[in-house]
Amino acid sequence: MTIEKEQSDYSSKPPTDGQQQFVERWRENGYNCYSSGHKFCREVCPVMQVTRNENHTPTAFMANIIAMDRGLLDIEDVADDYVHCVQCGGCEIRCPNTLFVGDFYQARTETVKVVRAARALMVDKGLDRDGWKLWNRLTRDLTNEPVLGTTDEGQPQGQAYVRNWAEGLDIPIGGETIMFVDCEAAFYRTSNTRATAQVLQKAGVEFGLMNEQWCCGGPAAEMGYVEQSRAFAEHNVNDWRASGVKRIIAIEPHDYIHFTEDYPAYFGPDFDFEVVQIVELVAELIKEGNLVLDKPINKTVTYHDPCRLNKRKNIHEAPRFILNSIPGLTFKDVDHVTQWSYCSGGGGGLSIEKPDITAEISRTRLARARELGVDMLVSACVWSERPLATAGHDVGIEVADIIELVAESAGIDIGGRRGASELEATR
Amino acid sequence: MTTATVRTLDDAVVADLEAIMGEPGSVLTNISSRTNRTRVPAPFPVHRWGEYVPAAVVLPRTAEQVSEIVKLANRASIPVVPRAGGTGLNDGAVPLRGGIILDVKRMNEIKEVDLADRCVTVGPGISMMKLNEELSKYGVFHPDTPASYPCSLVGGRIACSGFSLLGTRFGHTRDLVMSFEIVLPTGEIIRVGDGGGKKIRKSSTGYHLKHLFMGHQGTLGIVTEATLEIVPKPEAEFAAFFAFDDYLKAHRTLHHIVTSGIATLAGTVLFDEKKIEYLRRDDEAFIPMPSWVNSIVATALYGTKAEVTAASKILMEKGRAEGGRYTGDHMAVGDWASRHDRYANPLHGRIPGGQVVPMSWHCEDASLNWTVLPKVREEWTAIAQRYIDEWGIFDNWGIYCYTSASYKPWGDYLAEIDIGIWEEKLDDDNWAAWVRFKSELAQVTLKYGGSLSNCHGTTRAGDAEHVPEEMGGGWDVMKKVKRMLDPNNIMNPGKQMLDEAYQD
Repeated sequence: MTIEKEQSDYSSKPPTDGQQQFVERWRENGYNCYSSGHKFCREVCPVMQVTRNENHTPTAFMANIIAMDRGLLDIEDVADDYVHCVQCGGCEIRCPNTLFVGDFYQARTETVKVVRAARALMVDKGLDRDGWKLWNRLTRDLTNEPVLGTTDEGQPQGQAYVRNWAEGLDIPIGGETIMFVDCEAAFYRTSNTRATAQVLQKAGVEFGLMNEQWCCGGPAAEMGYVEQSRAFAEHNVNDWRASGVKRIIAIEPHDYIHFTEDYPAYFGPDFDFEVVQIVELVAELIKEGNLVLDKPINKTVTYHDPCRLNKRKNIHEAPRFILNSIPGLTFKDVDHVTQWSYCSGGGGGLSIEKPDITAEISRTRLARARELGVDMLVSACVWSERPLATAGHDVGIEVADIIELVAESAGIDIGGRRGASELEATR
Repeated sequence: MTTATVRTLDDAVVADLEAIMGEPGSVLTNISSRTNRTRVPAPFPVHRWGEYVPAAVVLPRTAEQVSEIVKLANRASIPVVPRAGGTGLNDGAVPLRGGIILDVKRMNEIKEVDLADRCVTVGPGISMMKLNEELSKYGVFHPDTPASYPCSLVGGRIACSGFSLLGTRFGHTRDLVMSFEIVLPTGEIIRVGDGGGKKIRKSSTGYHLKHLFMGHQGTLGIVTEATLEIVPKPEAEFAAFFAFDDYLKAHRTLHHIVTSGIATLAGTVLFDEKKIEYLRRDDEAFIPMPSWVNSIVATALYGTKAEVTAASKILMEKGRAEGGRYTGDHMAVGDWASRHDRYANPLHGRIPGGQVVPMSWHCEDASLNWTVLPKVREEWTAIAQRYIDEWGIFDNWGIYCYTSASYKPWGDYLAEIDIGIWEEKLDDDNWAAWVRFKSELAQVTLKYGGSLSNCHGTTRAGDAEHVPEEMGGGWDVMKKVKRMLDPNNIMNPGKQMLDEAYQD
């Protein structure tokens, strides 16, 4: 058996331009981690906790840059490794560099950006994975993600069906504030979307829907399809401008990340929209007395901090305030720092390429919930709710969205489909 | 006999490994798996990375698998290098001669929590942080808390005979591991303790084999299970930091504190002037202090509320006896709480002229007596300055001294000078200079009657060549033991001058 590249030889494998650019862009960030190599991130990483394979650690993702720089590895050697990331950001906030010196030196660890850049390089070199290729091709064709399946073309998904969830709710098109409806929520877990819209209506928030809502483009960016992400962003921003939109309500954390981090990066100062996260808006509506929660929900619940809210946006107080405002609820909390190492495995395209790992991450999360003796795990991220609910079914714990609980407590008849959570109804 | 370097495996050997493992994805021969298990956080000759890349990685789940792999390695003369967390500050887990990396991270089970006889049995691939998350449900914890608490794994703790920041109160790794299972270099699976009992803490039966294998640095086998001490979670913690305008006053204060008879004293740490200069300069979380401060003594007490309350009064009196000034509750609570993370903050340093660059960290972890600390500090600092001036890739991040004896705070210290190295610029010349630098630091330790390594092991150039000198007559015994247990020199070969064991 011959194994290549056994010796360091700088000249033997001249990298292509794309790889060279990747290395030059991220070399310094790579050394910031490589020089330390302490791996405080390892036991926080949701993927590593499941695979126990050092290739999948944030440390390896950084060291690969240095190894490419030194001619030891090419992107094709590590392409599969870079698939093993949910982009939760837990590694970044657990990094001593971030905690103590990163901002001081303007050298913060940025593993999520490194993974996204590596995946973009994979796309450039045709090394992107088959599942992602198909997913993004269908997303491009449908202008929304194929969340109801990538094989059956007769599924009611795509642009023609994007507002079906809103049937009977009498929501206008356009206006100053629009509710941006995530693809998973628009087609798969429509109870989430219907609950959100009706909660806002009940609280007197004026909002509309987009004229033509495409996918936010975030998943494409996470999987490395930068051009597609950008094209979707341009469409959506144009749609907003055409309707005089000023404020976007993001009902889903991945969309919120994309609108607050990627869109400003794409459009610079021209991106002048206000972006509001639904849990913060709803907490405010409750605090100000615009939303009254008076129907008791007699359940014992714990809260799952969605990674993109907690780890990447430091949003963890609003959902706890909401849960503590629901009458009848027994809330067994696990603090948000402990939850730096929790995840559903649903993000970063992992569930498309490595569904077994996603399922195992969700099983681990439900096992933690089970130790608390709860009936229900409440999330605030619709993308987490499918794998969590599937795992919850096996251990008899229901999974719900926080806004669905709010709606129920506000006396709203939600309607819609609850996706994998409907499995519980058959138990 | 020097074991030949093995960079590739025959297909037949790979097939044998796969047959032993019987699990897809547990035998890894791809280049990324091997490249990413070549180094540890200790300074690494990155310009020669390719020369250390192993031939294969195996991810076992059972002692039987480990045993079969080791037997295969003996038959095929392939080096085997155990790897747990890969967080060592010496080269224990670096495959100097390639071969098979036996990565134990999947052996991370908690097998038994025994609250009656007060112990927990685990696999070697679990971290103390994860273990304690589980143990916290029962109101107990395993008190092995190195600075690498969130990332180092039990297997590596045993291999390096680790140091715990709370060791003065609760003991260090060697005291906190009651017994462990180890696969010998020839494949036999044995359990070693003080005597034979898995959960026995004190015995006079036979030889005390636990102590032979504790700190084996991967050269005498692979740990596959360990039974660990658990202790009640302390009811009270009291940390206090005292600031001084003079190093010798701080040094004398240490003595007052450690000889005060306080039984709840969990540790003391002495920061020297260079350390404070570094923290002031480059640690954004370090609480500002007046400019006259040039040394600090940090202390912490753990115990019942009644014990700690009473002892805290004595501690405050002793801490102030030589003019020490209490630095305030913010620092006491905040800095002590961040003790694990702070160790890893030297991710950057400054080259002469002040430019900030990413730097790797060398921690010279000598064991030294209290009396010699000031002299060693002077000599280490002078050596460091000489190399900084000459080579332009080093930085001196100062010296910490930690109380290091188990259950008694006096006598000897883990004295560490922290050196930054700009790895990105390494080449053969400045790497050779680094090894000389390292060696000079080690020689100071030996001159003052110390021990080269308190807790990282002596597996790297600049340490290894001095091991025979420190061990004296014991070196011959070590060689005999090594050759007897590892007749083919396949277990982590090339470490600690142990190739000498095979010279007839």
